[in-house]
Amino acid sequence: MKKFEQFIFGILGSSSKQWLVILLTLVALAASVMMLPTKIVLAKMLPGKSANTYSIYIHTPTASSVEQTRQVAQCVVGYLQKENEVTDTEVYLGQGAPLDYAGLVKGSAFKNSENEAEIVVNLTDKHEREEPSFMMVHRLRPTIKTNCEAIVPGTVIEMIEQPAGPPTLASVVAEIYGRNYENLYKLSQKIAAIFKKTDGLVDINIMADDPYMKFELIPNSDKISRSGLSVEQVNNILYLAFEGMVVAHKNSKNYPDQIGLFVRLSDKTRRLRDHSRKALETKLASLKLMNQKGMLVPVNEIVDIREVPASPTLMQKELRRMINVTAETDLVSQVYPLLDAREKIMNELAKQYKIETTDYLFNLRLTDKKTGEVFDLKWDGEMKVTLDTFRDLGAAFIAALILIFLLLVVYYKNFTISGIVLAGSFLSIIGVIVGHWVADLVTEHTFFLTATSLIGFIALMGISSRNSLLLIDFAKALMVEKGFDKQHAIAVASATRAKPIMLTAIAIILGSALLASDPIFGGLGVALISGTVAAVIVSLIFIPVLMYRAKAMDFKPEESDA
Amino acid sequence: MKQSTYKVRDIAGKLAKGFLHNPLTPILGAFLLIIGYISLEIMPREEDPQISVSGGTIIVPMPGASPREIENIIVNPLERKLREIKGIEHIYGIAMDNVGVVNVMYYIGEDRQAANQNLYDKVFQHMDEFPKGAMQPLIKPFDVDIDIPIMGITFYKKDGSNIADIELFKVVREIQQELNRIEDVSKTEIKGGKKEQYNIEVDLGKLSGYHLSMGQIVQALKALAVDVPDVKGRTQENKLVIFGVKNAIESIRDVENLIVAQYMGSPIYLKNIATITDGTDIQNFKSVEITHRKEKRFSPLEDAVTLTLGKLAGANAVVIANEVKEKMEQFRPKLEKMGISYSITRDYGKRANDAVNELVDHILITIVIISIMLVFFLGWKESLIVTFTVPAILAITLFIAYLSGQTINRITLFAFLLSLGLLVDAAIIVIENIHRHLHSHDAVDKSLDEIMVEATDEIGAPTNIATLAIILTMVPMAFVGGMMGQFMKPIPANVPVALVASLIVAYIFTPYLGRRLLKKIKMHHHQHHWQKDQAKEEGGTQ
Repeated sequence: MKKFEQFIFGILGSSSKQWLVILLTLVALAASVMMLPTKIVLAKMLPGKSANTYSIYIHTPTASSVEQTRQVAQCVVGYLQKENEVTDTEVYLGQGAPLDYAGLVKGSAFKNSENEAEIVVNLTDKHEREEPSFMMVHRLRPTIKTNCEAIVPGTVIEMIEQPAGPPTLASVVAEIYGRNYENLYKLSQKIAAIFKKTDGLVDINIMADDPYMKFELIPNSDKISRSGLSVEQVNNILYLAFEGMVVAHKNSKNYPDQIGLFVRLSDKTRRLRDHSRKALETKLASLKLMNQKGMLVPVNEIVDIREVPASPTLMQKELRRMINVTAETDLVSQVYPLLDAREKIMNELAKQYKIETTDYLFNLRLTDKKTGEVFDLKWDGEMKVTLDTFRDLGAAFIAALILIFLLLVVYYKNFTISGIVLAGSFLSIIGVIVGHWVADLVTEHTFFLTATSLIGFIALMGISSRNSLLLIDFAKALMVEKGFDKQHAIAVASATRAKPIMLTAIAIILGSALLASDPIFGGLGVALISGTVAAVIVSLIFIPVLMYRAKAMDFKPEESDA
Repeated sequence: MKQSTYKVRDIAGKLAKGFLHNPLTPILGAFLLIIGYISLEIMPREEDPQISVSGGTIIVPMPGASPREIENIIVNPLERKLREIKGIEHIYGIAMDNVGVVNVMYYIGEDRQAANQNLYDKVFQHMDEFPKGAMQPLIKPFDVDIDIPIMGITFYKKDGSNIADIELFKVVREIQQELNRIEDVSKTEIKGGKKEQYNIEVDLGKLSGYHLSMGQIVQALKALAVDVPDVKGRTQENKLVIFGVKNAIESIRDVENLIVAQYMGSPIYLKNIATITDGTDIQNFKSVEITHRKEKRFSPLEDAVTLTLGKLAGANAVVIANEVKEKMEQFRPKLEKMGISYSITRDYGKRANDAVNELVDHILITIVIISIMLVFFLGWKESLIVTFTVPAILAITLFIAYLSGQTINRITLFAFLLSLGLLVDAAIIVIENIHRHLHSHDAVDKSLDEIMVEATDEIGAPTNIATLAIILTMVPMAFVGGMMGQFMKPIPANVPVALVASLIVAYIFTPYLGRRLLKKIKMHHHQHHWQKDQAKEEGGTQ
């Protein structure tokens, strides 16, 4: 303690040493802040969380049958069955699995078609399992996707992990707005192709119907009325024959529901020979309708068959037509692949479109050079939540700074001293960033600067301001009550307060040690630990220098009180 | 005891003085610990905090319309009308064949009741503007708490069991009824259930062979399956005689022997042209399949039925899950006999409990580590005092969290862990100052009481301001918007409470316990070279 007192006393005694301390602090601040843009420390909203379950979504192309979807699901399940840590797996065909947080925003509840399936994978308890679920997903994803997506061409398989924080539609969502659906779909395909080429983006999906051909039966009203039939009759019988209908009910005493009487053509006679116009025509020729005179009329005689592209489902957001292109990230933060992809879009599509940036930070506007058609590209999903959260936390941070400053001004009735305390608090950011860099070096996976790190940093502000506060108060008391000179009072105060400052710091460090190992709150733990270390150094060395240089710290001894 | 000469300046000193000899102080301490423990036990546990998301879906079916038509005449006008409602963040419109869907998302934190009401009002006020041919719109508000099931039980047939799909469904329906009776269980749902149905599969070849059309079959079936209410006849004495026509379909045989038409004078029965089976709803493409581990190998994928259970908002997931599991154990022998097995495929109760217990363990370990650290720096008695304050502070915080209707979840406990490092500070600062005063050489002249009060009071003002500063840093976090803001809400809600509690506990209990556990050091002058004293001498010489 004595040595430390002399050390501080020494620094305060020499102007060049004081400048050295200030310079070193500023260099450290600049160096640590530079770690963010240079991507030495990576930012992400929330890191992956190891869970005991994850889901796999299967989307076969829009006009696929449930049998085709089942085939893909069986392929996926085949790979899952080879895993030792899987306990059971449920396949929900044609519908969403029981709703969970992820499914809530991914539209799981609305799935109701033959080309959708969801698989729930349950694992052994995460404490008895070495591999975290996100590593398992990372390992299985390439195998499952390459082998099972090929079964039905155009299939997209998504591996959905439990979100660590609030759920989002996907990690990266590009909302593409435009007026003409066909051009919009073409552009979204181009964007999807760029996503596929971007490192770190996986499970790319265009959330729109895949184009497919359908046969349109055009009722020939002339022939229909001449044969004594009606269009409605044609519609009904066609539906009844191929889709089937419950035409009547039987009430049952010993069964909870009514029993329906379901009529349809038999499986053997219902099926078409192949996917062609001819096969359809032949089938319709053998399906006959009875007119009022009791004569049978084959369906093909009263309709014309035409092959046309099916009209796709149209999506709108805020009253504008839109197509979503979504992608997940594989272990990496979504921020950097997104910026990559954006860069690529700006380069590769520059030939065809005039590209300009619009409002919200990364959003783009694409104007077709030939037709002048305007498309907007807006980023949504986890990216937007991340930006919003970091923006809000940043604002919270600034608000906290102002509040602390005002509090200190009220307490000390002096701007300079309040400024010193604030500067000291802010410098703990050095520790936070360096701490993340070190954590990233020592851990196996990437250690991200997350929203919880920011929360930690904000909390640190208060903690380090407390250190400075106690220091200033003590030095002031020494000067006022005991009549010490400034240099001495500050040196003594630093040395005396060093013990409680260290103690509370150690308490925080030990208190946060267990947090640091947590996948989600790790950022907070690391921020608190390393930030506290920085705060201690700053408040014991840098703050005394500032205090010494500040005129506001010139306190005269109170003669009457001594 | 001689009268204290020290003049108390701060609330810290006042509290310390007031409680130092109060007989209620130990009772208050015990009381705090007990209510804390009770709160921990009875507070509802969840894994993730409740996020109140309001929104809804409006579904307008219009048979026969193409997506473009739907977009123009249903989705666009409806969206325009919904824009009139305040508080809507996003509107999504989906135009498909035959149906238009509009999803509405309110800003996070909008009042759910009012939001839903507005949605209903807006749609029904403009009912007359829907196009001809559009059917009654369906409005479904969504509710995270009720919609996300906390339990999932998947039933499947045991090996070699030949129970029919329909039987399986019936059993699950019965169990659904039983489990729905459990307190706080809200929505239950069955996925993968196969309904009983008579399937009449018509052979196209035979149909044309007998010169028949599908329409005739439908008419014949409709004529047969008529249910008429009982007829009330009267006798001449005005007594009621009740009679009714029995439903003609009693079994599958009645359907088979239905005469569809006459051909060349002989009747054509339905069984002549169609295969009729008592089966399941074959037109339903939805199904559930399960594969599960049996020793080393996996069973092949087989049909299954999943029953899911939701809970009411604010209910304890752990309690419900345990009760459900208990009930299921009771059913097990009966199910086994019928050839049905089940696995619990989702158990949020267990997850919540695990997450909570893990964090509670972390908190305990952290307290132990901190107290060991303090033993080295301050001595075991001082360490003991600080260690006591932690559960007392947490108890107050928990109790207040319970009163304000919060649940114990990952984020609440995270807030506690975050504050743990901060809330021992006040006690450490107080005890360190007491320690320093006891060891200072003017301690001999003062009574123990006076030292306690003075030491506490001395650091009162800066500690108050510093704690206030930390509280102020937490306050703006309450204004973070969006889902993330909702998710983090327990932090700004609980950390300030814990910090205020830490001040009060430090000022009341640290001097109280210090008075009883700590003693003045028998001082020889200049045995301890405390900087303060030494500095005084040095400072004086300069």
